[in-house]
Amino acid sequence: MRGDDRRAAPPPGPIRPYEFPAVAEERLSNGMAVRLVSAIGLPVVTAMVVLRAGETAAPVGRGGLAVLAGDGLEGGTTRLSSRELAMALEGIGASYGAMTGWDSTTVAVSCLAEHLPEAMPLVAGMVRSPAFEEAEFDRCRAQRLAAAAQRRMDPASLAADWHARLAYADGGTYARPLGGTESSIGSTEAGDARGFVEARYGPLEAALVIVGDLDSGEALTLAEAHWGDWHREVNPVPEPEAAPRLRSRSAHVVHRPGSVQSRIRVGHMGVSRGVGDYFPLIVLNLVLGGTFSSRLNLGLRERHGFTYGVRSSFAPRRGPGPFAVSTAVANDVTGAAVKEIVREIEAVVEAGPAGEEVESATSYMAGVFPLRLQTTGQIASRIARMIVFGLPEDHYRGYRDRVREVTAAEAAEAARRHIRPDELCTVIVGDADAVAPQLEGLGLGPVTVHEEKA
Amino acid sequence: MITVQEHVLDNGLRVVLAPDATTPVVGVNLWYRVGSRNEAPGRTGFAHIFEHMMFQGSANVPRNGHFHHIERVGGTANATTWFDRTNYYETLPSHHLDLALWLESDRMGWMLPAMTAEKLENQRQVVMNERRERYDNQPYGDWDERIQSLLFPASHPYHHTVIGSMEDIAAATLDDIHAFFAAYYLPNNAVITVCGDCDPGHALDRVERYFGAIPPGPDPPPVPGTARIPFTTGETLRGDVHAAVPLPRVYAAARVPPFTTDAFYPGEVVSHCLGTGRSSRLYDRLVRQRAAKSATCHLVPLTTGAAFFLAVATGFPDTPIDRLEGALVEALDAAGDLTGDEIERAVVGAETRNLRALQRLEWRADLLSMYATHFGDARRLNDDLRRLRSVTVEQVREWARGYLHGGNRAVVRYLPAGPP
Repeated sequence: MRGDDRRAAPPPGPIRPYEFPAVAEERLSNGMAVRLVSAIGLPVVTAMVVLRAGETAAPVGRGGLAVLAGDGLEGGTTRLSSRELAMALEGIGASYGAMTGWDSTTVAVSCLAEHLPEAMPLVAGMVRSPAFEEAEFDRCRAQRLAAAAQRRMDPASLAADWHARLAYADGGTYARPLGGTESSIGSTEAGDARGFVEARYGPLEAALVIVGDLDSGEALTLAEAHWGDWHREVNPVPEPEAAPRLRSRSAHVVHRPGSVQSRIRVGHMGVSRGVGDYFPLIVLNLVLGGTFSSRLNLGLRERHGFTYGVRSSFAPRRGPGPFAVSTAVANDVTGAAVKEIVREIEAVVEAGPAGEEVESATSYMAGVFPLRLQTTGQIASRIARMIVFGLPEDHYRGYRDRVREVTAAEAAEAARRHIRPDELCTVIVGDADAVAPQLEGLGLGPVTVHEEKA
Repeated sequence: MITVQEHVLDNGLRVVLAPDATTPVVGVNLWYRVGSRNEAPGRTGFAHIFEHMMFQGSANVPRNGHFHHIERVGGTANATTWFDRTNYYETLPSHHLDLALWLESDRMGWMLPAMTAEKLENQRQVVMNERRERYDNQPYGDWDERIQSLLFPASHPYHHTVIGSMEDIAAATLDDIHAFFAAYYLPNNAVITVCGDCDPGHALDRVERYFGAIPPGPDPPPVPGTARIPFTTGETLRGDVHAAVPLPRVYAAARVPPFTTDAFYPGEVVSHCLGTGRSSRLYDRLVRQRAAKSATCHLVPLTTGAAFFLAVATGFPDTPIDRLEGALVEALDAAGDLTGDEIERAVVGAETRNLRALQRLEWRADLLSMYATHFGDARRLNDDLRRLRSVTVEQVREWARGYLHGGNRAVVRYLPAGPP
């Protein structure tokens, strides 16, 4: 094929259907929910225990408690030491781990399907009878303390933590880092973690998700054998504490002497996962800064050469997580880049996205959906989200249709409702001497320089 | 077992087809056999800048049209530059296969008409910011520059990093783009893999249709410098860095046989025994004993004269750097006594992880391109799942004793300094 034939992009072939895998919903004799997917493909399986016990459940002043409790699950059970647990699971080729977020803790194991009968009791032991042995717990805590120290020197983490602190300045659960602060971590003891698990991990506030090359009947029998006799009454985790909105703009430079780049974060408190216009909002975000071809990236990267990349995001949680535009730029263009970010935010709220932009975004979102559902782990994680956020059963089955229905008017309305240019909080981690003067006169509100103390 | 077909077009383009209709998604993946190893003196980082320019349009594709076309049909695209190769890939709904082939072929054949000085200047700024973001403004960000320049002499193609120096990034010209394109971006220096939901006969026909008219060129010039290098450094080469880092950290690297040799496989087993998972030696002896916050290692699978082994241990704020290094090198020095149990566990873990990784077709496509490029045989992917299994205890121990000793090591230590 040469010359003239090549001029236009080729047309697509006939579209091929895609369905989210069928999810069987079951309950064990103790009432614990089970979700099963018999995925076709390679002979592997992921089993994931979803516990509705994330950081939101940590009491005030105890930030990081849920994360530490999750870490501690890997530290051994009443029967097996941390080392024995590792030998047993890795001896059958399994990968395993616990992960804690704001709204849940998940404990997952992935292995060859034929080894699930050996892996399942080990994972059940981690969740049902963790030892929280003193020396192991101390180690987990020392690791988390060191990780907190690392965050304070990493520009992106530092910007995210400061932005949370300032954007939720008047209180609320999300003002602190997910993993807690050095003082809250340092004061947490093994007994606190054990207490958290006893108060929050229970079969009626948990679910077991099994995805893989396994017959559903077999999987259910295995689940019943290792989880069906788990009995513990726990209370549901309360809603996250809401924070009041900030009613004005402000700008903050977190002084990092000698920085050769500014890490920028501009945004404010966003929305919770339960928001009614979730789909229009996600589409709107794709247009603003959610893809390579987004307004922000084409402007800041491809037009101005200010940055390697820029993204906007909403991080919906059970409560209103942050909305933020995030990027890193050279010192000398910091003011110009912030100005451009604010201009794009104002523009999308003012005029909304164009019809063609919304069409591209919905097509993108519907198209990449199956791309992100290729592994047993990816499918299990999606199902875990449904459980954590209480999404309707048909959520993922109807996902692509609902995405395609989003109109430009709805996306514009979502922008007006959920992005508030007058309340933008700008955080810059960088060399204050080099960049603070550039922020004057940009209309960002009062500019404050902060020192990050070691 | 992955179904694999291989073909070669008349212009030398190697075509790998791996049909799998599980999901209506197709992956297109190209490997060009050019990377940072091919860069001329004074042009470090150029292979990577060139990769950026490949997204700036071609004869029939406008600037940024590549991402625009792919994203608007629900696909993803990207590219990466590495020591020995540069890859470009798209993953998209399978009925848009032609689109990806059209885009990739247009830039393989007709990139130069779209190049301008203004685009180069823009991408130069983007790449400079990439360097700042990943290296210059990041704690420990310059570790690989330091390790590579210690471990490989100035004459070796791996002496410098993929990102290159700011000075060299600043020096790149439009003439360099033309010369690099002519020397390396040729169908006879590339592999294309189409993986996922496709009919192999149809896919081959389409590849032929879009790529068949691109003329081949002469064999690319030899890699500059001297690739052959002994697997010994004579003594432990070292460098201490006092920097604004939060925690003490030690990097220890060794020269090892290249990925393309059979001598690589025992190394992979050694590396998993030492550094993968919570039953590995580094975790058991360093992390579990609280000598380190974290400790891992891996092999970097390179092909030009040598590959390298890299171990990293990060301490707690109060861990003395000598003790951290001591604990790490003690574990490396002792790897000659790895046991059958440890090896069995490492192999079974690696097999399972490799299999799980194949679930993602973009990864599967990349592996197929890799095997086709480095071994001239994409089907080797299937054998490699079993290849680790045949490594013996004696081979593992011999490899560890032969390459992980103090006479074949470069060590870079980061010591937290107060704020300047």
